[in-house]
Amino acid sequence: MISDEKLMAYADGELDAIERTEVEAALASDETLRAKLEAHRALSARFASAFDGALDEPVPARLLAAAQPQRVVDFAARREPKAKWGYREWGAMAASLAGGLIIGLGAMSGRGELIAATEDGLSARGVLQAALNTQLAVEDGGAVRVGLSFRNRDGEYCRTFALTQQDVAGLACREQSGWQVAMTSAYTPQGGDIRQAGSETPPEILAAVDAMIAGDVLDADAERAAREEGWR
Amino acid sequence: MDGKKSGPSVVSGVMMASAADQQAELVAMLPRLRRFARALTGQAADADDLVQIAVERALTRLDQFQPGTRFDAWLFSIVRNAWIDEARSRQRRARVFAPAEEGERVGDDGEKTMHARLEASDMWMAMRALPEEQREAIALVCVEGLGYREAAETLGVPIGTVTSRLARGREALQRMLGGPP
Repeated sequence: MISDEKLMAYADGELDAIERTEVEAALASDETLRAKLEAHRALSARFASAFDGALDEPVPARLLAAAQPQRVVDFAARREPKAKWGYREWGAMAASLAGGLIIGLGAMSGRGELIAATEDGLSARGVLQAALNTQLAVEDGGAVRVGLSFRNRDGEYCRTFALTQQDVAGLACREQSGWQVAMTSAYTPQGGDIRQAGSETPPEILAAVDAMIAGDVLDADAERAAREEGWR
Repeated sequence: MDGKKSGPSVVSGVMMASAADQQAELVAMLPRLRRFARALTGQAADADDLVQIAVERALTRLDQFQPGTRFDAWLFSIVRNAWIDEARSRQRRARVFAPAEEGERVGDDGEKTMHARLEASDMWMAMRALPEEQREAIALVCVEGLGYREAAETLGVPIGTVTSRLARGREALQRMLGGPP
């Protein structure tokens, strides 16, 4: 006689070879037992269909940000910062260039997936990907703002961004497979409508920019040129 | 175990070399943590709040993780303990049966609709109706695919206790859910 618990353990793969043989012998001759096993398997399928969706859905940006607040520390430790024209000076200059040139792209709605965990790391998707490809720092994309653009020491283009609706700022670099999000951080939107380019980027992201950058931050013309080249 | 889906990166039993590796594994575990939290809370928005709390706790305790043990089980225990704390301090158990009014941090009608639909499914409702100790055993074994021993260690109870909670929980679910969907 096979107990319910033993049958359950069989269905869960928890029995040793001897017990399995015993259960299988009983199953061969006991229709009721087979029906119970079938019910176990049907229940397992229902667990999968109710909850496995979480494995395919994009992870919300706030969870990604919560999981990697220290990325910047790793970057800073790995690469020695260079003393050079820094983000503060650049930010001030860009702000003066950007004055009065804030162009609305309209409401880019359709949120959904913005950062997806993939085999290669965290990939920009949706409106974030689109903004990194096409949006200039002077443009106000609404849901996504792009801040500083620069080349890292591997020669890849990198851009800082802010997801204004998710209160997440980040840094992405253009790799072979697309825009890979190198780090994210909590982001506090500035009050008011007037925005200064780069000024909203959190200090930890700016520190990472300093640690990664080769050469200078792109100015508006260089940014436009890089966009023409597809950030290659 | 019986070939349970385990997400994009299998981290069980892997000895991790550095805090940076652990952080990468933590990111890779986020989909499974969300799945586990959904099974545990029966609410999608609550589940994400819980994962966030657990992730923040896990980061402050990475040095307490014992190399050679399962990273996923360790994270599940943090999620589960955070849920117990939350449920106690905010008496969420009373709210669990309220309609899904969450979304205050979701901020998107589409997502809210999706969550409401998820939570209205028979399985989510049945899970919410289970006693806590049965639901957590079910979430670990039936949803996350942990073995009985790992589940017992995660919950801090003997294997026999896990077995009987699983058996009672499954029986209750089968009773509530009736036949095939």
